Amino acid sequence: MMELKDQKIRSRKSVFRMEFRRRDYSAEEQGHVLRRSRTDHHPLLPPSPSFHNQVVVEKNGNNDFFDPLRGLNAEDSTSAEEKAANTTTNSNSQVSSKEWTSFKRFLMQKFPVSKMISIASMPDVIIKSSTSFRKSSESSHLEEVDDPQRISQEDVKVITGQEYVSRLHELKDEINRAWHAEDRVTALKLTIKVAKLLMDTSVLQFYPTLFVLATDVLDMLGDMVWKRIQQKAEFSEDGTFLCSLPENFKASDICSDAKETCNNWFCKVGSIRELLPRIYLELAIFPCWRFLIDQPLDSLQRLVMMARGVVDPLASAYCRLYMAHCARKLPLSDIGHLVTCVNDTKILLMRHLSAKEDGHFADKKRLLVSLMEPTIEYIMKCIFENTSQSQRQVDSVLLELGLGRNQEDSYGSSPGISFVLHHLLKELPTEVIRSNFVGILHLIECSQDHYFDQCLNYRLLGFRLSESRSKLDIVYSVVDKVIQAVAQYDRLDQYVTVVDAYMDIVLQNQIDNHLKTILEGISKRACHKEIHEDELESLKSILMKLLSHFTDLHDVLALDHFLEILDVMYGNPRSNINMHILSMATRTGYLHDLSTIQLLFEISQSLHDVIDFGSMKDDEYQQPLRLISRFVEMVDYGTEMERHLTFLVECRGAFGIINELKETLVHSSNCLAIKALKDGRKHLNFVKSCIAFSEVTIPSVLEHVVQFNLYIETAEVALLGGLVSHSDGLVVSAISCLECFDLTDGSRTSIDAGGMLSSIQKLCSFLVMFPGNPDQGITRFPNSILSLIYSKSWMTPRMKIRLFCGIILLLATLSQDKLPYYPYCAEIMGNDLLFFGDPSYVHEIAALSECVLQNLISFIEQEPPKAARGTMALEACNCIASSFVACQDILEVCWKLIETARLCLRADDRYLQSTIKYLNEQLPPSCI
Amino acid sequence: MSTKIALKFSRSNRIYRPSEPVEGKIVIKSPSSISHYGIRLSVNGSVNLQVRGGSAGVIETFYGVVKPITIVNKSIEVKPSGKIGSGTTEVPFTMVLKQNGEKSLERFYETFHGTDVSIQYLFTVDIARGYLYKSLSATMEVIIESDKADLLERPVSPEMAIFYITQDTQRHPLLPEIKSGGFRVTGRMSTLCSLLDPISGELTVETSAVPISSIDIHLLRVESILMGEKFVTETSLIQTTQIADGDVCRNLTLPIYVILPRLLTCPSVFAGPFSIEFKVSIVISFQSELSKLHKKSDPRTPRLWVSISLNFIVEETYLFASKLSFKFQLAMETLPLELVRIR
Repeated sequence: MMELKDQKIRSRKSVFRMEFRRRDYSAEEQGHVLRRSRTDHHPLLPPSPSFHNQVVVEKNGNNDFFDPLRGLNAEDSTSAEEKAANTTTNSNSQVSSKEWTSFKRFLMQKFPVSKMISIASMPDVIIKSSTSFRKSSESSHLEEVDDPQRISQEDVKVITGQEYVSRLHELKDEINRAWHAEDRVTALKLTIKVAKLLMDTSVLQFYPTLFVLATDVLDMLGDMVWKRIQQKAEFSEDGTFLCSLPENFKASDICSDAKETCNNWFCKVGSIRELLPRIYLELAIFPCWRFLIDQPLDSLQRLVMMARGVVDPLASAYCRLYMAHCARKLPLSDIGHLVTCVNDTKILLMRHLSAKEDGHFADKKRLLVSLMEPTIEYIMKCIFENTSQSQRQVDSVLLELGLGRNQEDSYGSSPGISFVLHHLLKELPTEVIRSNFVGILHLIECSQDHYFDQCLNYRLLGFRLSESRSKLDIVYSVVDKVIQAVAQYDRLDQYVTVVDAYMDIVLQNQIDNHLKTILEGISKRACHKEIHEDELESLKSILMKLLSHFTDLHDVLALDHFLEILDVMYGNPRSNINMHILSMATRTGYLHDLSTIQLLFEISQSLHDVIDFGSMKDDEYQQPLRLISRFVEMVDYGTEMERHLTFLVECRGAFGIINELKETLVHSSNCLAIKALKDGRKHLNFVKSCIAFSEVTIPSVLEHVVQFNLYIETAEVALLGGLVSHSDGLVVSAISCLECFDLTDGSRTSIDAGGMLSSIQKLCSFLVMFPGNPDQGITRFPNSILSLIYSKSWMTPRMKIRLFCGIILLLATLSQDKLPYYPYCAEIMGNDLLFFGDPSYVHEIAALSECVLQNLISFIEQEPPKAARGTMALEACNCIASSFVACQDILEVCWKLIETARLCLRADDRYLQSTIKYLNEQLPPSCI
Repeated sequence: MSTKIALKFSRSNRIYRPSEPVEGKIVIKSPSSISHYGIRLSVNGSVNLQVRGGSAGVIETFYGVVKPITIVNKSIEVKPSGKIGSGTTEVPFTMVLKQNGEKSLERFYETFHGTDVSIQYLFTVDIARGYLYKSLSATMEVIIESDKADLLERPVSPEMAIFYITQDTQRHPLLPEIKSGGFRVTGRMSTLCSLLDPISGELTVETSAVPISSIDIHLLRVESILMGEKFVTETSLIQTTQIADGDVCRNLTLPIYVILPRLLTCPSVFAGPFSIEFKVSIVISFQSELSKLHKKSDPRTPRLWVSISLNFIVEETYLFASKLSFKFQLAMETLPLELVRIR
């Protein structure tokens, strides 16, 4: 092969007469180097003092923290209000209707429809069109509503939740159709039937969905009635326009005909026999009271009282929820009715919950409480919607809810319902909370029922406490009491739920003894037991708060029980904490402490163990991998280099799967070798082992380009260490790794051409200082690069041209009497010394360069005439002009290339122009 | 298409007072022109009495119609004989029911639709078309309310009756468990009520050993007809309004609020040959073994049972029932209710 090539070269020898240009690199460097000037600042470092200030400010002003998202929301709602005001509709009601819509969505999501609903005696409206069990004619007649025969059928019917829902949607359409077909009686009758569905609470889980759907229908009817009466008030009977009602019209503005119609509606609704549908229907058309009287507050209060007759806790709670919703449609400022609603619910619930129970009923009650919770939440929100300003009003509300300040004696005697208290606590203005901590604490202590966890109230109090800037002594006493109280909890989940909320307070105020107690408490409850998922989340949150509070990882690790707690965790939360620790550890600088390194190694291991490459998405495990690599990178054993290398070996064993890490390992071991080299010759054996480590590690890297780069890097290190044969072997491996690389191997279809090119170019520049071995042929490596160019299909034309140029430049450099650069420690002789004045050496180089030159030119000629070809021609031209002495042949070649470039590029192309200029300077045509 | 005739009054709710002129138009829709012998409009207001049973029914098994009492019977010619063109023709009319100074046959009682007594004012339009054609006619009811001049001034003095319902106030036998457990429901309710106002009041369950399943307010009418020398009285149910669904919390006040239905109520009347009175019953039904036979989740069952039982009670046949050793699971209290029309 080699001989054949040599022959080729010789045969072409006659074509070119050429000579390498002599270079004086140091003079050139002097000529081209940029002028330097002193600077006081590092351009890339941020201005450190002000940066520090910023951090401090943010920490101190934590309470003033302005959440940009929330701020945006507030802006949004104000702009929405403005819009609403512009469109002459009641802005208040629009905002509330928006809230209602989102609340309904929340309800539906919180309590999704279960698959099947079994209902004894299915309501006829629902049965009517659900084809799944249409029972001949018997069940398909609406007229048979009161047929006692049907009622006595005891068999439980089953319907899918979806069918029930879709039937309700159909009903809504039906009602809408009937109304617009002037058949208002049918519309009303059907709506009443829908409202009657709300009387059935037998399928608890389904009730919220039912409520949302049914109130949709009711709201629709209410709107239609309102519009009809409004129309009657605004238009005369024969359709002529009378007046348009102002936003805040009075009952006296309404003509008697409209009032008559309105009154009729209330009469029709009032004649409904059953209590619950009657209330619902009146609520649906409740805004219409405004046509009759200016202050419909009395009616609202009556409805609140009427709702007391509904005994089913769920039905009554949702009924009151609808009441709160409907009352918001009126311009009322009174909240007395809402307070009564809450109180009535409380009474009802206390009675219901205190009733005798067994296991099954306890579960049911718990479900019931969770179903009722949103209703109280909404009503509480309504209560405190407008009262945040007036302290007096808040006080009176509290008093009416039985939670007044002056009733401390009676706290114990009337324990509240804890979830009612919970939502009260959620909505109370912060000032009130701040001034009433003691009372609230007492209330929480008192209200302990089995259906709502007391700990949630403690938790909420913690959050509220941290959001209000309270006096330290209050904070201390509250935290004291809470920590005492939760010490009673045996269960970990309760304990961590509460403690989590107080972490920030404890940390910010540096109540260290409590921190100790808390951690001890957690570890006592967490060890030797299985940790539940939600407990994990709380634990994670607690540890996260700890980690983000401290700036130095060592402070965290020094805390008692921290590691124990970390140890009981598992899964995703654990990984999150691990990642946090790792990033914290590697943020500040190199890691020297042996025990820390050991700990972090273990943490990395556990992080590594949970990664499941099969099932996780790329971006899910990229982060931990990066962190582990970063950790390995940041480890520094100082003078104990042997130890460090051992560590790297351990890492390779432990994190074998991580591809990216191997790169880090090779880098680290190379760094280590360099460090040893700097230390003196005595570590040569250690350097050898580092290089051996690298050499062994590189082949397991997946990507060939990376492998190639690592080989060259290691070869450089070996060369620095004077290990020429090692280095030689590494370069051989590097090239053979490229030889193995084929597009067909692996799934990748495109290669990073640019990266590959610069890597090979780097190899060329490395080869400048690599001592040639006459036994193997001086041009052995350039030749193997050439054979790569010829044989590999993934080489793009651009790559090929540039590599040809690179080899020409390499050869031109090698031909110099003095090389431009040498290895760091000059114990290795460069080719300039090795072959000084050796004609066969020069001859071989010249022969090869001639061959390359020919190939280069023919390659360019084969290219289709495009801009790319022009640029390539210019590149080649520059390369040739700078490498060879100007002579006839070279000039011809160069001007030919310029011609090619002119054909492909525009005349004003700056590269072209500057190349011509350069050519004129270097190889003046006069030389010809 | 045949000719269609309809009456359309000036007021969409068709409510008039006797001294007010009743205005409107006769709308005739005809595909072809028709000739006629005059368009006549007549009004007939009368009290129709019919004995279907009631207290008379059980004892005398009497059944019959008493001659109706005419209040007003007038007829005017709206249009003399002539021709009506094809298409829609509207003929306006004005009819005065009670001429000033005119002595009417009877008092203008308010419109009332009851079971035994019914007071109606019917307007009939007739178009006579000779012997060859069937005459065209249409009838429409107009609702009469008393003249303002005859009415009481507002406000009606609020007359509230206080009631107690316990196991001892019941005139019918109770289920033993209810009787022995005891209960006490108190409250108050208006007994004099304007027709435009709701019946109002409140009710509190103080104690009840047996859980309550429902509390309902029954609005009853008491219609009496003079038969010979004796009044035949029948009590029947107009409307039921539930005020409590389930075992309500003790000592929590519930409002009583019943809107009076139109047409089915009128001012209480004590005329010579008949009278119309009203009553309100508070009915408490208990949950007991009997009702547990029915599925609890079906809200209709207990009420159905109530209305069956109620018919026994209101007809005061509880003695009869007790002979069959029939025990009731409901307690009740009935109060008289005087309805008035006020200005």
